[in-house]
Amino acid sequence: MEQFFQQLTNGLAVGGIYALIALGYTMVYGVMKLINFAHGDLFTIGAYLGLTVLLSLGLTDHLGPLAGVLVLALMVMGLVAVVGVVLDRVAYKPLRSSPRLSAVVSALGASIFLQNTIMLIYGARFRVYPHDILPKMAVNVLGLDIPLMRIILFGTSLVLMLALYFFIQKTRLGTAIRAAAIDQGAAKLMGINVDRVIMLVFIIGPALGGAAGLMVGLYYGQVNFTMGWVYGLKAFTAAILGGIGNIPGAMVGGLLLGVIEALGAAYISVAWKDAIAFCVLILILIVRPTGLLGERVAEKV
Amino acid sequence: MKRRMVFVLVSLILALGLGAGSSLAAEIKIGVMCPLTGSWASEGQDMKQIVELLADELNAAGGLLGKQVTVVVEDDAGDPRSAALAAQRLSTKGVTAVIGTYGSSVTEASQNIYDEAGIVQVATGSTAVRLSEKGLAKFFRTSPRDDEQGKVAAKTIMDKGFKNVAILHDNTSYAKGLADETKAILDANGVKIAFFDALTPKEQDYSAILTNLKAANPDVIFFTGYYPEAGLLLRQKKEMNWLVPMLGGDATNNSDLVKIAGKEPAQGFMFLSPPLPQDLDRADAKAFLASYQAKFKAMPVSIWSVLAGDAFNVIVEAIAKTGSEDPATIASYLKEKLDKYPGLTGDISFNEKGDRIGDLYRVYEVDAAGNFVLLP
Repeated sequence: MEQFFQQLTNGLAVGGIYALIALGYTMVYGVMKLINFAHGDLFTIGAYLGLTVLLSLGLTDHLGPLAGVLVLALMVMGLVAVVGVVLDRVAYKPLRSSPRLSAVVSALGASIFLQNTIMLIYGARFRVYPHDILPKMAVNVLGLDIPLMRIILFGTSLVLMLALYFFIQKTRLGTAIRAAAIDQGAAKLMGINVDRVIMLVFIIGPALGGAAGLMVGLYYGQVNFTMGWVYGLKAFTAAILGGIGNIPGAMVGGLLLGVIEALGAAYISVAWKDAIAFCVLILILIVRPTGLLGERVAEKV
Repeated sequence: MKRRMVFVLVSLILALGLGAGSSLAAEIKIGVMCPLTGSWASEGQDMKQIVELLADELNAAGGLLGKQVTVVVEDDAGDPRSAALAAQRLSTKGVTAVIGTYGSSVTEASQNIYDEAGIVQVATGSTAVRLSEKGLAKFFRTSPRDDEQGKVAAKTIMDKGFKNVAILHDNTSYAKGLADETKAILDANGVKIAFFDALTPKEQDYSAILTNLKAANPDVIFFTGYYPEAGLLLRQKKEMNWLVPMLGGDATNNSDLVKIAGKEPAQGFMFLSPPLPQDLDRADAKAFLASYQAKFKAMPVSIWSVLAGDAFNVIVEAIAKTGSEDPATIASYLKEKLDKYPGLTGDISFNEKGDRIGDLYRVYEVDAAGNFVLLP
């Protein structure tokens, strides 16, 4: 039983990261019906920019660990958002009226381009975050030793996800995003600036992906230019699992995927971990082709 | 007038062509196939640097058979399909021999192409047993084989007195092969295997696997995969406050391992490897390290790139001693005449299969300062 709960916390920690990245896929898909394959690389960029800002400004030395990391996170989210907007302008905007497949090919190209650019700038070797920024202690929760960092990690992703949810549901801009997701043409007729909505989507998604990259860098310590591929694939799976285009779906899908993987590793086989996760995905898609929360795609984003 | 111009032009073109022809004849081309992009890019870039460094030094000292050596590099991206393309490109470029590559499956995709083109291939980081069992006459490797490593791994585990062993691989042909070889020997000697399974490479969170491993309660973990995963396992194991010793295969021999794990979690980690040049008491190995450090301001990242340097050196030695650029002559010299050539990673001789012979694997341990220390 103890092992079960230990694995549950393992799964939730990874699942929180998947969910944050999945939100970027799901938002872009919701509004533009495009799978942004370069999203995983925006995650990698977040991890590398975080390292660069951290080492060059020494934020945690001046401000203390918690305030320093907070400022660092805001800066990284802002910088990755800029990259996201530029990506949209260069790779997707010229193809808005082209067949949807062109944009997908462009996304794949952008992914390869970004990955190799990161390699040329930062080199092919692993880069390592300083080891002593955040406390390494473990907290005892109901008989389980859980690293404090992991609780912070999970809490942060939860806060970011909830903030996004309320932004989409309760604000005017959020309503505009939801309207554009239902029907871009009709939204235009209602006086919504759809171009601005798409820009907003390419600010929020990459910012969250960048935050996830920074969190992975801070917690796991090492970053590599190919890391976006695995996380991107898993997050994409999570988005499909929850129902792509659906924001609560991405959150649920991410957390669920993390937990399925961890429990699959525990009770079936470590080597089959990914296969189990994908089998669950296939099963759910057979039973519910739109994903777990997918039925709401037509109404809400 | 016009005819004269044409005549001048034609003779000019002919002269240029002949000039180019004679300059072609005055160089010896040696190919390097290595992963310059993809997830093994750091290995490949280091391989390229080392071979080019050695070629520059050779050319500065007068070249080979009075000719200059030109290194032709092709990227295999650490991927079998790109490797087949790289091999085809290299075989049309007039190379005498090819060095490379890292990764057994990648080398395998290129072997037959070089064999058909009649080019000598010296692999550097490809340890799978079957590569040299195919009977290709011009295939060599400066890296040892997995079955050799399995013997040393099992012997190390038994010598250290471990009774309850967890073996973890990553499902690559290399890591799975080494895990199987070791398990077979341990089984035959009655050592209990408490855990045998694979992780998925390139992830960052291995806590689920570590939780499983801990439940099996082994007294040593033998991880046969690559250094990034080994580094993360060490780091996350330490965060769980689990102090079980860990042993790694030769793919964990990379200075980035300590960077990834952190000095404290890496301390006490043991791994198997051919000897590093800095552990050889030899003037030429020390001279190589000095010139490498002068040029790149760092030590070579891993043993595999140094094995590319050894591949270059044995090819040069064979061409110099036979005075011939004929691949068949080079291959038969390497198999029959080359005896204990002083390489950067120890003495080099090849058997009739093209495998390196002699005692190759040593056991290293990471000390408190993060250095790799050769165990006696």
